[in-house]
Amino acid sequence: MKNLEKVAATLFGVVFVLLSFAVAVETTMRKVFNVSLQGVDELGGYALAVGASLAFTLALLSRAHIRIDLIHDHLPQGPRMVLNVLAMLTITATALLFMAMAFYSLRDSIVLNSTAQTPWATPIKYPQMVWFACLALFAAVASGYGVRVLWLAFTGRGDVLVRDYSPRGAKEELKEELDDAKARGVDVAALPGKAK
Amino acid sequence: MSMVAVGVVSFLAMVLFMLLGMPIATVMLLLAVVGGMAAFGEAFLISGASVLWGTMSENGLTSIPLFVLLGELLLRSGMADRMYQAFAAWLGRLPGGLLHTNIGCCALFAATSGSSVATAATIGTVALPSLQRHGYPMSASLGSLAAGGTLGILIPPSVNMIIYGSMTNNSVGKLFIAGIIPGLLLTGCFMLYIYIMAKTTGLNVVHDPVPLKERLRLLVNITQPVVIFAIVMGSLYAGIATATESAALGVVVALAFIGFSGKLTTTLMQACFLSSARTTGMILLITTAAFVLNLALSLTGIGEALTKWVTSFGLSKTALLLALILFYLLLGMFMDTLSMMVATIPLTYPIVTAVGVDPIWFGIFIIIMCELGLITPPVGMNLFVVQGIRPDEGSVGDVIRGAFPYAIIMILFTFLLMAFPQIVTFLPENM
Repeated sequence: MKNLEKVAATLFGVVFVLLSFAVAVETTMRKVFNVSLQGVDELGGYALAVGASLAFTLALLSRAHIRIDLIHDHLPQGPRMVLNVLAMLTITATALLFMAMAFYSLRDSIVLNSTAQTPWATPIKYPQMVWFACLALFAAVASGYGVRVLWLAFTGRGDVLVRDYSPRGAKEELKEELDDAKARGVDVAALPGKAK
Repeated sequence: MSMVAVGVVSFLAMVLFMLLGMPIATVMLLLAVVGGMAAFGEAFLISGASVLWGTMSENGLTSIPLFVLLGELLLRSGMADRMYQAFAAWLGRLPGGLLHTNIGCCALFAATSGSSVATAATIGTVALPSLQRHGYPMSASLGSLAAGGTLGILIPPSVNMIIYGSMTNNSVGKLFIAGIIPGLLLTGCFMLYIYIMAKTTGLNVVHDPVPLKERLRLLVNITQPVVIFAIVMGSLYAGIATATESAALGVVVALAFIGFSGKLTTTLMQACFLSSARTTGMILLITTAAFVLNLALSLTGIGEALTKWVTSFGLSKTALLLALILFYLLLGMFMDTLSMMVATIPLTYPIVTAVGVDPIWFGIFIIIMCELGLITPPVGMNLFVVQGIRPDEGSVGDVIRGAFPYAIIMILFTFLLMAFPQIVTFLPENM
């Protein structure tokens, strides 16, 4: 999973850094030289479709999809385990639903031979194929998690269900930020002036 | 059962599932799909499919990952960490000392970083040990950090504003510009409160003056974030760029600054990519689900029925807004702010615009309500973040007490915006 995370995150980042350069060049040329590189807007839309679908999987891998832990954290292990299983199954259902909806879109684009209403007139099926593949990855990872939580529930591994699938609270998020701040050397040593 | 009753019961069920810890995005999506399919069968899924592609390939929303990436670059390259020194040198001698620095630094940091947790964690790590060593009251210190961290979503660029703009078909550029004066004014109100509090309670921590030469030298620390902010907001205000284009310009300039400082490493980029992807995934899943929910509300007629029902009471604009302040105050006590925003906009936006509230003004109103939710217990994200950083072993009650005056200031500030809506609308009307 770590490798998948690394590859997907790199792909996500590269897509948006390249897009930033393309958009910056286009904006500068348009305003300074009155010349437009047609289609960068369109490219931005496709970058979002692919990047966001990859990001759904990355957020899932790090339990970043928001859950409110107000009641959850005060419940005994049994109900917490049940809520964690239900939460994971709803994510699996969402991912499968997205994949099904993306399939409907792609199927219609192929059947109708749809093209984008832009100067490039891109056949929509091509960006949609990549989008569908990324949502299929999201569905596959979510289904894997769904099967795992059910297996853990049936085999009575409540401790693992509570440890691995509880909401990612503020404490956990803060710990990561503090570790990162420490790693980049944030400290107070250089504050100017002294108190009297 | 009437449409209004269906709408109210569905909304309450949605909030209940969210409070039970179900993922926010999935609750909204599944509720929309169940309701939509009950009314229209498989046809709803086909309509939903075109909304899904339309939302996920909407170029306007591309600004979200770009602004998130920009914030991560500034944060993880250490550009934002160094700002505290400059602010401490310039503001530390005011009555209230470093508490002003907390607010000022949070405001500028917030202008470049979309993350409330990252803002509070970074500024808090730098500030709290120093505040403790210099004898500042812990409650006031924690309160100023928790409140300062909320400024991020009001001072542009703000991801919450992009989402509001996309969901309501309003210009994100206008929303950003509209946030400037209220953002600066609210920052000023926070600092005025610290000044008065320091004078009346005898908080007397005076720092040695920092020589002008040193202060000028430290200004370099805020130059880069200020240049980036100026490029992003300047290009928007001048009409040179859209929100997405201004975000892209910001990313390119930030990369250039980091490159020149010799910090552009693979490790840094990978950390930024992973963190931006996680945040983007979280935000866009909720946003996409909200668009599908919006579709269900409009196709089933529930949204329209609720609007007609509420407007039938004949409430004035002021009465309606006061009721909404109470509604958001209560909801914000229990819900995450982004979730609160996307789950309620499809219901509240048609109602307020039906009684003549300016859509851009309402966007800023919603953002302030979200800010309030960040510091109101029991689920005030910033309260817990700041509590988690404090160097001593005190109770969370200190943070709540410290942040309470700022929550009151925010409510009073909202009343001010209701009395003088031009504070919000002046700049966007003159773009």
